[in-house]
Amino acid sequence: MFGAFRPTNSLSGGLLWKIPWRLSKFQKARQRKRLRAVDTVVATLDKALAKKSITTKAVERWKEEMPIEQEMVPKDKYTIFDRKEKKYRKSIRKLPKWTRVSQRVNPPGY
Amino acid sequence: MLGSRVRATKDSLTDNVTMSYFRITLTRSGIGMPKRTQGVLKALGLRHRMRTVFYPVTPEVAGQIMRVKELVEVQEVDKPLTRAELREERRPDPGFYLEKAAPR
Repeated sequence: MFGAFRPTNSLSGGLLWKIPWRLSKFQKARQRKRLRAVDTVVATLDKALAKKSITTKAVERWKEEMPIEQEMVPKDKYTIFDRKEKKYRKSIRKLPKWTRVSQRVNPPGY
Repeated sequence: MLGSRVRATKDSLTDNVTMSYFRITLTRSGIGMPKRTQGVLKALGLRHRMRTVFYPVTPEVAGQIMRVKELVEVQEVDKPLTRAELREERRPDPGFYLEKAAPR
């Protein structure tokens, strides 16, 4: 049980990465901050274009499809849909480049 | 072309007297992002983090910003600043002021 040759997970299996499933409260706070930062950018664009009475497809589509940070449910902020996972959800940190991509909507009902 | 990156097309200058600009600062690096995203950053002249560029408010620029919205900070400003002015902005407060210059 003790000693240098005890059968731990990492010794018997080789590489073992333990990635916590949940984000810490600080990581969640930063995630919300990033979401709000994107909201601010879009709001600034929208306001500037509205002054000149121009509409842009990209901005309009974003406003139509994407919820702002305050409208999102916590489930969508910190987890994403995955059909292969138990309960169909996995932590958002599993998403490649998750701090620099916008992933806000998930399939309805999941 | 001014000292900082400004591209003011002729028609956008004439149709509106009060021109406004986007002040775009790259806050997150584009490393590892798709080629198209990195290309947009390059086209905007954002080669390093904390680089600030100015562009007139046009739908084209707005579309470009939308492609990189997670990586940049955007403000709407009245006039573009030169690189020297941007540098002056970052200069910290010296903590003193000269009442009178002493003769040397």
